[in-house]
Amino acid sequence: MQKVRAAAVGIGEVPSGRFPERSEIEAAILACRDAILDAGMAPTDIDVVMPVGALASRHFNVDLVFSRLCEELGMLRSAKMNVQVMSGGATSSSMLAIAEGLIAGGLARNVLCIHSDAVGSLPKQAGIDLFSTTGVSEEWEAPYGHNMNAVGALAANRYMHETGTTEEELASVCVALRQWAQLNPHAMFRTPLTIEEVLASKMVATPLRAKHCNMLADGAAAFIVARAEDAPHITKTPVYVRGHGSLVTHYTVSQDTNLARLGFEEAGAEAYAKAGIGPEHMQLAQIYDAYPVWPLITLDGLKLCRGERAGAFVAAGETSPGGSLPMTTNGGMLSQGHTAVGGGIAVLVEAFRQLMGKAGERQVANLVNAVETASGGTWMDSHVTILSKEY
Amino acid sequence: MTNSSRPLPQPSRWSAGYWEAAAERRFVVQECRSCDRPIMYPKRVCPHCLGDDLGWRASPGKGEIYAVTAQLAGPPTGFADRLPYVVAIIRLDEGVQLMSNIVGDGALEARIGDRVSVGFEDAGGTVLPVFRLDESEVAR
Repeated sequence: MQKVRAAAVGIGEVPSGRFPERSEIEAAILACRDAILDAGMAPTDIDVVMPVGALASRHFNVDLVFSRLCEELGMLRSAKMNVQVMSGGATSSSMLAIAEGLIAGGLARNVLCIHSDAVGSLPKQAGIDLFSTTGVSEEWEAPYGHNMNAVGALAANRYMHETGTTEEELASVCVALRQWAQLNPHAMFRTPLTIEEVLASKMVATPLRAKHCNMLADGAAAFIVARAEDAPHITKTPVYVRGHGSLVTHYTVSQDTNLARLGFEEAGAEAYAKAGIGPEHMQLAQIYDAYPVWPLITLDGLKLCRGERAGAFVAAGETSPGGSLPMTTNGGMLSQGHTAVGGGIAVLVEAFRQLMGKAGERQVANLVNAVETASGGTWMDSHVTILSKEY
Repeated sequence: MTNSSRPLPQPSRWSAGYWEAAAERRFVVQECRSCDRPIMYPKRVCPHCLGDDLGWRASPGKGEIYAVTAQLAGPPTGFADRLPYVVAIIRLDEGVQLMSNIVGDGALEARIGDRVSVGFEDAGGTVLPVFRLDESEVAR
């Protein structure tokens, strides 16, 4: 069991969706402002700013790299370092680990983590093409028409083959996430969804249909990480980082030799060991999705389904509102929207929000422990973080 | 959208031999002459021993499907007029994996575990190794 060294003390987020009138910098400024206010801090309390890599606009990303947020938000001559962290969809977990490490090493005190992007406002084909180059080999995969839907499809194909998971069970992941999104005012899709509707939607990339696939969205979210010993003096609702585990399993999906498992079993075992608590203590699973197969792979690897197959567990409603293990209560990328790297940031910020008791209509009662996961590129890595309200 | 905008491989200095062989309708797998292991896709140094005495070994181009998906909609630029097409991860009998297309008879019904053999497709001047289902699989 490791010493608890860091805690989240503030969060901010803007709604996800298509907001062509809202620029990435505006969304970033508002999310950061809200996180600083939520923590009851002044901008001058922040000593490290960590902007996540943005994909839609090179110019915006360059602004993030070169400290624009410090200038926009009153952190000049108080912030000591502005440094980009980027590991794609895994950045939520990896930047939290890096912030924790800097804090534990005495190199930072209050770290502001921020993601903003506007991939939802890209023309449709530009969005498809952008995500056909993220974690896709230009030489070895792109010439064969590989793309992000194919990644989710190949993994679903392999996972269903190895586990006997059905199309209905795969669709039930989308339905469970939508049930939560109906309670989330920041979600892109809030209308009810049924298994029949998923299975009646157009086949896109076998076995995935249109409603198995995420939709690109604009969005921004921010959080502040502080020293564990400072956290109770900063806020009444600190969320402690208990343990993190991770493993890189590929760059190109075609090189993964265990596509139905990835590295979640190993990452989970590491995170549980560091936290000193196990799957039986988890009351909320904030699981990185993007496509419905990934939460199933993750639930299995983290041993969260009490010995059941993840597909059967989700189809039985165990991860839906009222179920025994609420999962991804913001609606995930499938329903809150795929904001590029931000899909994972939204999942992590929702974990903080729930543990802070600020999740409104979808608040999970009596919550103490949660597990958060993430993965980047074409699910190149498996990240698991254990978070608690107390320790 | 036409085939001309389809992305084609731009060989690196160390992968050129693979594509040159393909242009001659030969299928090869990279090998490390220090540790004798097969490597796919071709690398600059051996990922097993970090040696750089690398070469090519002729491969029968046989293996089985590890994962497969038929693309029916929403393709990347350059592939709209190829729909439907089949993307697969092939596990070669040498034990290494690569991505390719399944083409020919029965491709849209290809399944995990199906035996496949290499073939070659001329994609606007570049020859790409692709795979076909073995006859026993098509007859299934």
